[in-house]
Amino acid sequence: MNTHLALLRWLRFAAANALRNRRRSAVTAGITALGTAAILLAGGFAIYTYQALAESSARTTGHLVMAKPEQFTRDEDVPLQHGLSGWADMRRKLLADDAVRQVLPRVEFSGLVSNGDKSTVMVAAGIDPDAEFAIKGPFLALRDGRVLTSADRQQVMLGEALARSLKAAPGSSLTLLASTTDGALNAIDVTIAGTVSTGVPELDKRLVYTDLASAQKLLASDRVSSLGVFLDRMAATAAARERVQAVWPALAVQTWDEQAVFYRSVKALYNRIFGALGVIIGVIVVFVVTNAMAMAVIERTREIGTLRALGTLPAQLVRSFALEGFVLGGGGALLGVLLALAVTGALLVFPVQMPPPPGRSAGYPLQIAFDGTLYLATLAAMLGLATAASAWVARRTVRKPIVDALAHT
Amino acid sequence: MLRLRGVHKTYRLGQHVVPALQGVDLELHEGEMLALTGPSGSGKSTILNLAGLVDRADAGEVTLRGREVTSLDETAATLLRRDAIGFVFQGFNLVPVMTVAENVDYPLFIAGVAPAERRARVAAMLAAVGLDAHAEHRPDALSGGQRQRVAIARALVKQPALVIADEPTANLDSATADQVLELMRAQGHARRAAFLIATHDERLLARCDRVLRLRDGRIAAAPSAVRPAATEEVSA
Repeated sequence: MNTHLALLRWLRFAAANALRNRRRSAVTAGITALGTAAILLAGGFAIYTYQALAESSARTTGHLVMAKPEQFTRDEDVPLQHGLSGWADMRRKLLADDAVRQVLPRVEFSGLVSNGDKSTVMVAAGIDPDAEFAIKGPFLALRDGRVLTSADRQQVMLGEALARSLKAAPGSSLTLLASTTDGALNAIDVTIAGTVSTGVPELDKRLVYTDLASAQKLLASDRVSSLGVFLDRMAATAAARERVQAVWPALAVQTWDEQAVFYRSVKALYNRIFGALGVIIGVIVVFVVTNAMAMAVIERTREIGTLRALGTLPAQLVRSFALEGFVLGGGGALLGVLLALAVTGALLVFPVQMPPPPGRSAGYPLQIAFDGTLYLATLAAMLGLATAASAWVARRTVRKPIVDALAHT
Repeated sequence: MLRLRGVHKTYRLGQHVVPALQGVDLELHEGEMLALTGPSGSGKSTILNLAGLVDRADAGEVTLRGREVTSLDETAATLLRRDAIGFVFQGFNLVPVMTVAENVDYPLFIAGVAPAERRARVAAMLAAVGLDAHAEHRPDALSGGQRQRVAIARALVKQPALVIADEPTANLDSATADQVLELMRAQGHARRAAFLIATHDERLLARCDRVLRLRDGRIAAAPSAVRPAATEEVSA
């Protein structure tokens, strides 16, 4: 109890000292507040981006992707060389797991698409349209026509740039050409159901979606390239992977982040950028607090001598100055937290649209995630830096000979 | 209570070595008020610094309450100052962000005295120096005389064995100086504290039990006669 009261007394003393030079303290706390807010907003933006990309990645591939190991490590000589047979039975078993919401078979292949006059390269996928759109939601922007349904046969959705290149529109006929699993060339005629955009112009120049049965007919195989397993929540990924791997030990099971090269690249880039930003801001805060406290210590040298003469231990005075830094840094950091929360809230009420990232055709709303760990860590870092900087500045003066300190003018 | 034997102290000013004390012997008894006087540079403040354990002698022996203190490390010296020595400075040296009560309380606070006891002792001390009505005021709201009374209260509140006072009346007008002197005598003697005072103030010299005159770092004159009245107070 007495210890708490004593600490309170030292804290009150520190707060009173912090208010001695109000303008200097206001500048110090203000810069700390701006630094804190900058870290929280930049960090919140990064976290929001990670979350959005993670969800997008998991929505694209599934939380788990099951295939033969060679599918992930080797190129195929012919389509579906490493494909999965008996996938329908696997799908049934997987759907029996409580955590599994959907299992999407996927046939990935490439070939040519032709309108009779012009042929171009396509990157195609055979999907189960109803299940795909039900689980993924509106992951493609429909530009014209309609989306595929599972009842459709030999119909396709084209990337809008590819449709433009082939002068094709919904209802037009095209021919898909690809090698079969035997290495022979095969072709099927298809009708365009709709044109779509993925938001990535380069992808839209090559993209073809068709139904699973049509793709298998073109490739002359009943295999699929992989199964995408969609779970009820992101956090269930690791446990589900273990369960699935235990049942099919011969298959490779990758998680969404192992598939998400773009996510990993963005995260690595942002971690470095925002990490460097955080270090720079931390250094600025240390300099500002150090400067303010150095001036305070010089101004109070005589008082330090008096307090030492009265029997105050150097460590007690270092602690007092450290608490003063704690008060200044803490006040600034709390202001910064409020500022960051205000901006985060304001962006929800007044949305700001960001321009499209490089390689994309669509912008995205600027949003800042609130992350308790980030807030606590930033607050602790600011408090720690301000406290340590103040203690560091004070440590020499409080050990100055008392006679010299008392004679200081 | 305090004894200096053959104490030497020199200061270095650039290339020059300045002898501040050259073999000073001095003894101060419990409850005694001893004044040191002499021209500037005679060594008064140096003796106060050595007796107050804020500086160290180059040679000789300083004992406080029978304990040799020249070889104490910094922490031990600080703790001894905290427990046994009070200071009254010429410029008052009150902490401006503390109230009068907090300034007086500070020595008790750092000594770890329980809050309830501290409150009682501070209240009694402030009443004794006539500043109980100003307990919550800041020092800058007080006159010079009031500030020095606060400083005296701060020095005496922990009931020290020794009070070091450096020119305690230098910044005060005559009437206020008289009040402060009377207060130091009355409160100091009531608490049997010994006073070691450096001063040029003749009024103060006249009220001390003994006066030592210093010149060039040596005691220039034999101790003056002890004031009968003071002797009586000391032995009371």
